[in-house]
Amino acid sequence: MSTSGFLTRHLARPLYFTLVLLTTVFCLSLLSVAIQDGGLSALELVLLILYAILMLWISASFWTATIGFLLLAFQRLPGERVAPTAEPVSGDDFKTALVMPVYNEDPERVFAGLRAMCDSLVATGKADGFEFFVLSDTREPDIWLQEEQHWRRWSEELGDRVPLFYRNRVENTARKSGNLADFCRNWGGRYRYMIVLDADSIMSGETLVEMVRRMEADQRLALLQVPPVPVNRSSFFARMLQFAGSLYGRLFVAGLAFWQQDTANFWGHNAIIRVRPFADHCGLPRLPGREPFGGDILSHDFVEAALLARAGWKVQLAPDLGGSYEEIPPTLIDYAKRDRRWCQGNLQHARLILAHGFKLLSRLHFAMGVMSYAASPLWLLFLIATGVEAYFKSLQQPVYFFGYNIMPIWPESYVVEMTTVLWVTLALLFLPKLLALVLLALDRTEAARFGGLLKASLSVLLESLMSVLLAPVLMLFQSKFVAAILLRTSVGWPTQQRSDHQTGVLEALGAHGVHTLIALAVGYVTYVKVPDFFWWFTPVLAGLVLSVPVSILTSRTSLGLSLKRAGLFLTPAETEEPQVLHRLEERLAEPSPAIAAPVEAKAFWIRAIMNPRVYALHDVLLHDEPQTRRRRHILEGLVLQLQDEGEDSLSLREKRALLSHREGLHLLHTRLWAAPTLETQSHHANG
Amino acid sequence: MGAGVIDQLDILETPVPSAWSSPEDHATVERRVRLYLNALGVQDPHEIEVLLRRVIERVEFRARLGQLGEPLEVSIEETLRLLDRWLVDELGLDSDPDQISAARAAVLGGHVPGWTGRWSGLNKEPLAESIRAVRFRAVPERAPLTMEPSIIRLCCHHMLRRLLARIGRLLGLWGQRHSTLEVRP
Repeated sequence: MSTSGFLTRHLARPLYFTLVLLTTVFCLSLLSVAIQDGGLSALELVLLILYAILMLWISASFWTATIGFLLLAFQRLPGERVAPTAEPVSGDDFKTALVMPVYNEDPERVFAGLRAMCDSLVATGKADGFEFFVLSDTREPDIWLQEEQHWRRWSEELGDRVPLFYRNRVENTARKSGNLADFCRNWGGRYRYMIVLDADSIMSGETLVEMVRRMEADQRLALLQVPPVPVNRSSFFARMLQFAGSLYGRLFVAGLAFWQQDTANFWGHNAIIRVRPFADHCGLPRLPGREPFGGDILSHDFVEAALLARAGWKVQLAPDLGGSYEEIPPTLIDYAKRDRRWCQGNLQHARLILAHGFKLLSRLHFAMGVMSYAASPLWLLFLIATGVEAYFKSLQQPVYFFGYNIMPIWPESYVVEMTTVLWVTLALLFLPKLLALVLLALDRTEAARFGGLLKASLSVLLESLMSVLLAPVLMLFQSKFVAAILLRTSVGWPTQQRSDHQTGVLEALGAHGVHTLIALAVGYVTYVKVPDFFWWFTPVLAGLVLSVPVSILTSRTSLGLSLKRAGLFLTPAETEEPQVLHRLEERLAEPSPAIAAPVEAKAFWIRAIMNPRVYALHDVLLHDEPQTRRRRHILEGLVLQLQDEGEDSLSLREKRALLSHREGLHLLHTRLWAAPTLETQSHHANG
Repeated sequence: MGAGVIDQLDILETPVPSAWSSPEDHATVERRVRLYLNALGVQDPHEIEVLLRRVIERVEFRARLGQLGEPLEVSIEETLRLLDRWLVDELGLDSDPDQISAARAAVLGGHVPGWTGRWSGLNKEPLAESIRAVRFRAVPERAPLTMEPSIIRLCCHHMLRRLLARIGRLLGLWGQRHSTLEVRP
């Protein structure tokens, strides 16, 4: 090991944590000077504690980005680079599975993504030894049948060149982690590695090959996470996040890799995993107690990384590997819905922070996961406490003459200190954005990929302004989610839509109406009671008051595309579209397999199962079971219920039951074709 | 017995309308079988006529045995049965449901050109090889690994209970050690 390598290895973490702590202490001392006039009240103590926690969070993020900046500036690591492959990566010796767990996802997008990756992999000439595996946990009958059609179509086309496998799990126990565990239990012995993908993941063939090469090069490496870059969305909101993710993300990733080293984290997808240690150590238990903190471990990725690290395996982040992409929610409301799903899983990690045996850094990952959602209610509390403190201060009348003093004693002003606190906090929040621009200024080629330095600077400015408006809205959303989870109540939001769509007025009013009302009420009270504080508070209030129009406006794809034409929020994935993303577009443009069936106002799955081709394919993918009279009676009852009372009378489970047994399927197909009303309908249509 | 059940029993006593007795019944069944054969992929009028005749023969046979039930349903059942029977004969299968299902999916999926002619008996060329060549391998051979749930020992889990247990042990109230530290499967 070289001297610099030794120093980096042993000094990285002490350096990072020292910087974080010193920054926090410094900011805390500034605030304590500003608020401590005449002792420390209970409220001021609360303020200081909240500020200390929040500053730890902010400065950790700040120093990660700053270190990342320094690394990139001095090492000149480009954001999108794939190291050349020096050795053969696969062949007869071992196989790598590309596993994509899916749950009621758009099948067209799922299979188009896989096909694009497959094309890219074949283009490398090193596709041997790779196999694709769709691990479906889909419950919706419509989507289940469509997945099978897509699988059949693509597997026929691929033949034996790159095997494409598909299975639909009978019971979706333990959700995604259970899905992966089921794969390992049944087919894990077939593969040395598995590359875990999300339904919206895209990875280039070169990156896939390189990931395997790196795993082969280090036999103690169990998991290599390749950071995904957000792509492919057109709305203003999503393009803004894509720009931020592409420009600032690389700083953070480089910084994270610097201090996390061999105890990095698993982000759930776009990572390669050594299958055997994963099977040996990553079976997840149910946590004792009831939800939200008990039951199945929801955010499994952090825990799996921690378990691998606990067992002595390396978990690394690959900041220099590009060709890894994901798609993000298109609107602010969808983004919040995704947060709602992730929030509970992350809060559950609070129980694991002090669990026995985990490495210190794994505990830190758990804590940071908790903080990524707990920070919002803490900010909210901090704002409330600041407002209350300001109100009490406003009640105090200055006393100019004490005792026998002839000269007046002027009250001390802490405006300078408070302003310093504010500016330091803002600097920590916004400096990484400037550092990212500096990095672009150092590399003109890279700047051109972001639309040029000027356009990129304008985009950063616009993004910063928008983030000021969006931050209070997300703060209220996340605070509500945290409160709902802690109070064990449901916030009742439907499934998130992944594809581009736009927010309507009613939807925006439903989601943000309360935010606006809160802002108006709080604004009025502070303006009347503490007018000085009101002006400090306006950035937060503005975001909330404008949340409805901002949410609608940022969801507009037309606006996003106009900004793209104007050269704003451009990302390297847009200016130099990678081949794999181009293939994805082409694959998505291809027509879907049509399903011909007699029409009626029936659900897709019923019409599809009437099609003998769909029926026969679904039947062949089911397992044969011994017939029992009781089961037949139940299935007959369900078919009768469907025919007499309509498809809405069946629950999702009952629909699945009909489609999950050959007997039920045969009964359904036959009875649907024997319906007396069939001939009165027009005969064929595409489903 | 409740009124609801008695109402349902009344249905059993209602005379069943006679089926398969009138030319209209025959015509309805024939139309439906033609429609179904079309959906299966049989387009040639000669093939349809041959297969239709065979299906109707089987339906009539069931009627003679008194096992007709719903004629439309029986006609669809018999069409599928006729198809399966042909596949068993063509491939020399031993009624293995998985093999029959795969063969059915192969022909109905349009992977075997000319299969309808062979099914109807108008084409004498064997198709066994072509049908066998179509594979529906959705998953590879099983290669199981053991994946047991890991043990995660939570800190401070049931701390109060454990503290009481420890005090109890100290006081000699309980002899056994109570441990709820580990999260096991």
